[in-house]
Amino acid sequence: MTKILVVDDSEAFRKVMIELLVRAGFHDVAEAKDFDEALDRFRQDRPRFTFVDMILPGKSGVDLTKALIAIDPNATIIAMSSIINKTMIRQSLDAGAKDFLLKPTNTIALSSVLAMWSD
Amino acid sequence: MSLFHFKRPGARKDHKESALDISRKYSLTQGRSYVIEESPPDISFDAFANIINTTDDKGAKNVGLCITRQHPDLVRQKYGLENTPIYWLATKTGQDIISPTNLGILTHTIISFVQDHQNGVVLLDGLEYLVSNNDFNKVLRVIDQVNDHISQSTSRMILPVDPRAFEPKEVALLERNMEKVQLSKA
Repeated sequence: MTKILVVDDSEAFRKVMIELLVRAGFHDVAEAKDFDEALDRFRQDRPRFTFVDMILPGKSGVDLTKALIAIDPNATIIAMSSIINKTMIRQSLDAGAKDFLLKPTNTIALSSVLAMWSD
Repeated sequence: MSLFHFKRPGARKDHKESALDISRKYSLTQGRSYVIEESPPDISFDAFANIINTTDDKGAKNVGLCITRQHPDLVRQKYGLENTPIYWLATKTGQDIISPTNLGILTHTIISFVQDHQNGVVLLDGLEYLVSNNDFNKVLRVIDQVNDHISQSTSRMILPVDPRAFEPKEVALLERNMEKVQLSKA
């Protein structure tokens, strides 16, 4: 079963995102609210996909992306943000993120990303 | 002689955005218009921004035209739009503002863009505002006229609609010649 990790400091967003993922057929979804929790969950679960909000309390999503890539260089990390800040998106891509999703997301965008980066 | 004396969007300047190396998530067919039932118009703006900030499978960029009830500065900031022409539907006067009662200028702006650009994307946001300032049938005629031009072009149009703001018959009339999109969002 494909494991997915959703990292976002908004509990409401995590819940709805997980609901969308479950509806798309992904039932093994974990969540984390910040850098440290995400790192722990990632080490433990080694998810196939990790959705990372670029704005997190404390260390940023770019910092988290770098840390996750250091653990697993093949990790599929999808950056997320509620605005399209091209500088920040490029920093995330340079750090190892594969793609970007604008929040709020929807079934078309989410399914497209999952299909694009599935083996 | 032109009926209107104002700048044609895209006539002199390259309005393409600098592309991001991210995936194209929406596939909108050339010559088609899409009604997206939603409020706020998040999916419509996401689709518009994603298409014009990425390249297609042949590496080509699309150019966009945005007409919106939201303030252009906020739209530019939120969706990373640096070069895309954005017109504000508002009752003020000024550059890049279209009065909701001036349906002629609105029609001309969209049709000129479609004629001047290959592979364009038009986002027309604020249909409820147009209808609150005009008779519904007048607005419908504008949409139909624009849709006729879109259907004979290489462009596509995105039309967010809040179904709560219309009678079911009006929604049906809006959607009769367009693709309807209904989605869940998070």
